[in-house]
Amino acid sequence: MTVVTDLAAPAVAVAEPTPMWRQRARIFFSNKLATVSVIFLLVIIFGCYVVPLFYSTNQSNAALALMTPFNQAPSAAHWLGTDSSGYDELGRIFYGGGYSLTLGILAGFITIVVGTLYGMISGFFGGFTDTVMMRVLDAFLSIPYLFFLITLVSIFGRSTTFLIVVIGLTGWWGNARIIRGDAMLIRGLEYSQASKAMGGSKWHIIRRHVFPNSISNIVTVATFSVADAILFLSALGFLGLGIKLPETDWGTMLQSGTTALQSANYWWEVYPLAIVFILVVVAINYIGDALRDAFEVRLVER
Amino acid sequence: MLSFIVRRLIQSFVVLLIIIVITFSLPYLEPKGIYAPAYLALGTRATPMMVQAWGVAHGMDHPYLWRLGSYMWGLFTHFNLGYSFQAGRPVMGILRLYVPRTIWLALVSLILTCLIAVPLGIFQAQRRNTAFDYSATGVAFVLYAMPSFLLCSLVLDAFGFRAPHLPISPPSGVAPWLIFQDPKAFIMPVGCLVLLSVAGLSRFMRGTVLEVLVQDYVRTAKAKGCSSRRVLFKHAFRNAMGPIVTILGLSIPGLLGGALIIEDVFNYGGLGVETVNAALSSDVYVVLGITLLVSILTLLGNLLADVALGIVNPRIRIEGVTR
Repeated sequence: MTVVTDLAAPAVAVAEPTPMWRQRARIFFSNKLATVSVIFLLVIIFGCYVVPLFYSTNQSNAALALMTPFNQAPSAAHWLGTDSSGYDELGRIFYGGGYSLTLGILAGFITIVVGTLYGMISGFFGGFTDTVMMRVLDAFLSIPYLFFLITLVSIFGRSTTFLIVVIGLTGWWGNARIIRGDAMLIRGLEYSQASKAMGGSKWHIIRRHVFPNSISNIVTVATFSVADAILFLSALGFLGLGIKLPETDWGTMLQSGTTALQSANYWWEVYPLAIVFILVVVAINYIGDALRDAFEVRLVER
Repeated sequence: MLSFIVRRLIQSFVVLLIIIVITFSLPYLEPKGIYAPAYLALGTRATPMMVQAWGVAHGMDHPYLWRLGSYMWGLFTHFNLGYSFQAGRPVMGILRLYVPRTIWLALVSLILTCLIAVPLGIFQAQRRNTAFDYSATGVAFVLYAMPSFLLCSLVLDAFGFRAPHLPISPPSGVAPWLIFQDPKAFIMPVGCLVLLSVAGLSRFMRGTVLEVLVQDYVRTAKAKGCSSRRVLFKHAFRNAMGPIVTILGLSIPGLLGGALIIEDVFNYGGLGVETVNAALSSDVYVVLGITLLVSILTLLGNLLADVALGIVNPRIRIEGVTR
C-alpha cells in the first residue's frame, strides 16, 4: 500500500511543464522582426477599422469630395493631400485599407478551408480518389492564375461579396498541394495506424489525428494565403477590375495614383500608400515565417 | 526517353481536356444564365423573347454534352476558340496579332532572365555571406515583396516621365519582330518583366547551387585536385540544372501573368491588354478563349521543360520519375 502512494506522489516535485501554446508564443516573439510585424499590423488594423470612426474628413462622401480642391499637396487640413477626385488621401488609405484587409482576410480564410478539405481528402484516401483529384488540381494549376481570376470576375461581376468568393474559391490550389502532402505523411505514421487497428473510422482518424497534426502547416499556409489574396485583389484593382467607386481598395487607389504621378508628379497620391501596402504584405509574410518556426517541434527547448 | 515523353503527352492531354471542360462550363454559372451574351449582341433592352430566339439561333439550347462535344470538335479541328458576340467575329481572328506579341515578350524575357539569374545565383552561392551576396539578396527581397504593377509603374514613371529618355510604349498593332527596328521602345517592358522574374530565379539558383556544393561528388572532385572553376562548372552546375529546368517550367503561368500586368502598364497590345479590355466590357467568350489559349501555352511550356529535364538528367530518362 505504502509503495503505491509513494509512486503516486514522488518525493521530488516535477516542475509543471510549460503549456504548449506558451512555448510556441515564446519562440514566436523571440523573433524580433515578427514582433515588430505584429505591432505594425495591429496599428494598421486600428487605423483601418477604428480611426475612420473619428477621423472623418471626406474619404467616403463623394458629394463632399467634389467640393474639395483636387490634387492638393499635403497641408494642415489634409495631411497627405487630396487625390484626383478630391478625397482626403490619408482618410482614403484607411478607408480603402478596410476593404483590402477585410476582403484579403475573408478570401484567405476561404482558400484555407477549401484547400484543407480538398488536400486532406485527397491525401488521406489516396489511390484512385487521389489520382483524379490531383489531375483536376493539375488542370487548375496550368491555367495562369491572373487570367482565370479575370475570367471569373468578368462572369460574376465585381461586387464585394463576389470578389471574396472568386478569390477564395480560386486561391486554394497551392494550399491543397501542401496539406495533401501532410495528410499522406500522417496517414502512414504509427499513431494513425494504431488508431486504424483499434477500429477508428476514417473520419475519426482525420478528425483526431491528421487534422490536429497538420494544424501547424495549415496556420502557416493561411497566413501566406491572406498576403496572396491581398496582392491579387490589388492586382485586380490596378487593372480596373476591383471594387467599384465610390468604394475603393488599395489596388484601385494605386492605379489612379500612379496615373497622377506620371502626368503631374503628385507624389503624395502614390508613395505613402505604396509604402504602407508593401510593409503590410512584408509584415504578413514575416509573421508566416515566424509561425512556421514556432510550430517546428524540433526547435522547442525542452 | 520516348516512352517518358509519350507518357507525359498523354498526361498533358488529360489535363488539357479537364481545362477545356472547365472553361466551357464557366458560362453556365453566369448569374444571368447561359443566354447572357445575347444582351451584348442585342443590346440591354432586349426582351426575354428576343433573347430566347437568339439563344436558339446560336445553338445554345442544345444539351450540355452535345455542345461540349461540338466545342471540342471545333477546337481540335480548326482551333476554334469560340465566338465574340460583341465584336461579331471569331475569337481567334481577334487574337491573331496578339498571340505572337505576347509569346515574343514572354520568350525574350525568359531567355534574358536565364542569362542573368543563373550566373548571378552561381556567383552569389560561390561568394555566400559576402557584402555582394547580402546586397543582391536584399534587392531580390524588395523586388519580391513589391507588387509587380507597382514596380512597373514606378519604373515607367522614373524612366519614361521624369527623365524622358525612353519611349513609354512599344508600337502597337504591328508584328513583334519589329523589335529590331525600334529596340528602344522594348527596353522598359522587357526589362521590367526580366526584373520581376530574376528576383525569384536567382534566389532559387543560389539555394540549389549551395545544396549541390556540399554533396559528396563535389568533395571528391575537389579532393582529386580539380580547380574550383572546374568543380563549379563541370560538377556542380550540371547537377543544379535539373531543379532549375523544373522551376522554369513551373514559372510559366506566373510569367504570363506578369506579362499581363506589363502589357497593361506599358500599353503593349497583347493577350493581356485584350483580356482586360474584354473583361471590362464583359465579353466573356473572348476572356475564356484567351484563358484557354494561355493554358495551352503553359502546358506546352511544361512539356518542353520535362523533355529538357530528361535531357539534363539521365536518371529521369530511365526511371521516368519527375519532380
